[in-house]
Amino acid sequence: MAKRGKLEIMKDILRIIQENRNSIKPTPLLRKSKLSSLRFKEYFIELIDKNLIKEIAGKKGEKFISLTDKGFNFLEKYKNIINFIEEFEL
Amino acid sequence: MRPPLEFLMPSQMGAELIYSFVIIVCSLMVYYGTKELYELSSHKGIRYFRKAFLFFAIAYFFRYSIRFILSFFHLRTIHEFSLIVFRPIGPLTLLFFMYFSSMAVFYLLYSVMWKRWNGNSKMICIFHAVAVIIALASIISRRSDILLGINLFLFILVSFVYYIAHKDSKTKKKGHNLYVVYMLLFIFWVLNLIDILIPSFLQQFQLIIYLASSGIFLTILYKVLKKAGN
Repeated sequence: MAKRGKLEIMKDILRIIQENRNSIKPTPLLRKSKLSSLRFKEYFIELIDKNLIKEIAGKKGEKFISLTDKGFNFLEKYKNIINFIEEFEL
Repeated sequence: MRPPLEFLMPSQMGAELIYSFVIIVCSLMVYYGTKELYELSSHKGIRYFRKAFLFFAIAYFFRYSIRFILSFFHLRTIHEFSLIVFRPIGPLTLLFFMYFSSMAVFYLLYSVMWKRWNGNSKMICIFHAVAVIIALASIISRRSDILLGINLFLFILVSFVYYIAHKDSKTKKKGHNLYVVYMLLFIFWVLNLIDILIPSFLQQFQLIIYLASSGIFLTILYKVLKKAGN
């Protein structure tokens, strides 16, 4: 399997959240993202910092992760971003 | 006696105004057209690509200002700036033009090279330093051949680095024609500099340079808008 780029990993994480009805606990997200826990943590913090995902507390106080509007927008524009980077050799 | 506002009337100033307007608008449209892609991805390549076009827009603003000053004070070359009443205006405008145009080209180069240079931000500092040196040389040196030499050397260096980068990436991606567009952009960047530094040198080809430069910027704008999905 080819090594995934940073943007592709971000897209994969966001897609997993979206496909889980925009609500998933951190542990299954880590498992499905196929990343080491250290790398997952780095990406998780970055996605939070960039306001692409947010943490929501459930009724019993458990943590859920969901996409922000910007996160949905990222998924929508992902192909454009990749096409643009490839076109201009960035 | 010269008629009042004569400097605004010749077709040359009209052509200059249209030319500058086209380039500045194209550059700003590239800058703002890629805003969303950058905000979503925070991609370094996109950041420097956008900066390059912002700097092109600023550079062409100062380029037009130089033309305006030359025309307003009836000067033939930039070396006659010392003859005008408000002495700092001319050299300062030239200084800003040289700095911003050099940085625009450096940013464009860095946007393509940043991965190969491992995102080394020291390169940006070096580029700023080189741009400042070029800008200072352009106002200190009164010899056109030295200025021409510096800019030709810079053009060859930038083209060579970009050629090497393109050669490497060619094996991975096929069907790229951006190389030609970028090389033309570099060539016409030098021609635009020569046109300002040594106006008489390319006077006969001025219109061709303007049309070709505008065509290159319009081509890049078209590609940007198409790929950015705007």
